[in-house]
Amino acid sequence: MARFQYLALLGLCLAGTLPLELLLGVRVWRRPARLARSVLPVALAFCVYDVLAIGAGWWDYDPRFVTGWKVGFGLPIEELAFFLVIPVCAILTIEAVRVRLRRR
Amino acid sequence: MHGYTLSALVACGAVIGLELAVLRTGLLRRRTLWIAFLIILFFQVIVDGWLTKLSAPIVIYGRRHLSGARFPWDIPVEDFLFGWAMCTLALLLWERQPDASDVDPEPRPVFRRRSSSLDR
Repeated sequence: MARFQYLALLGLCLAGTLPLELLLGVRVWRRPARLARSVLPVALAFCVYDVLAIGAGWWDYDPRFVTGWKVGFGLPIEELAFFLVIPVCAILTIEAVRVRLRRR
Repeated sequence: MHGYTLSALVACGAVIGLELAVLRTGLLRRRTLWIAFLIILFFQVIVDGWLTKLSAPIVIYGRRHLSGARFPWDIPVEDFLFGWAMCTLALLLWERQPDASDVDPEPRPVFRRRSSSLDR
């Protein structure tokens, strides 16, 4: 189970920010085209960065805590997931700040 | 040479350059962005702190490719530059695409709490 730790952490990020959409009512997940256009280019750019960095030996992953599944070019699936999940959470955050500031 | 350090600085510069020259959203001048970034930073310290803790790191860094400065906990300072570049780029791209919601920005909770302070 330890090898799912990184993925589980990302899952927690998604679960933890879900109330912003469902309870606070920001419309981020409900604007999927805009979300995709914001997140996918970033994910692509950073995946490239990551593949190059791994290749250059800048960083690596403890095999105990990752699944070992790669999406190609040596990129762990966890990293792709990270570059998708974190930008989504960032966008949810800024929209939540907007909602709260508007109400004050 | 500290490859990660330099590339993280370059990434931040590139994002700023992209905003100034191409995207021009003005978002970097707005309080909303910086408040959001403080919140993101808080959670980054928790998440990244867990990923990089030297007791059992999930991400392992090659020592000669970073400055070696780690704060708080075992988080390489470069991670904050990297994270800022990544999140800010996504936020700028989001900001760049106005849609009808920007005219009618009312939040729409899917689930309403019984006595929500959000209800008017």
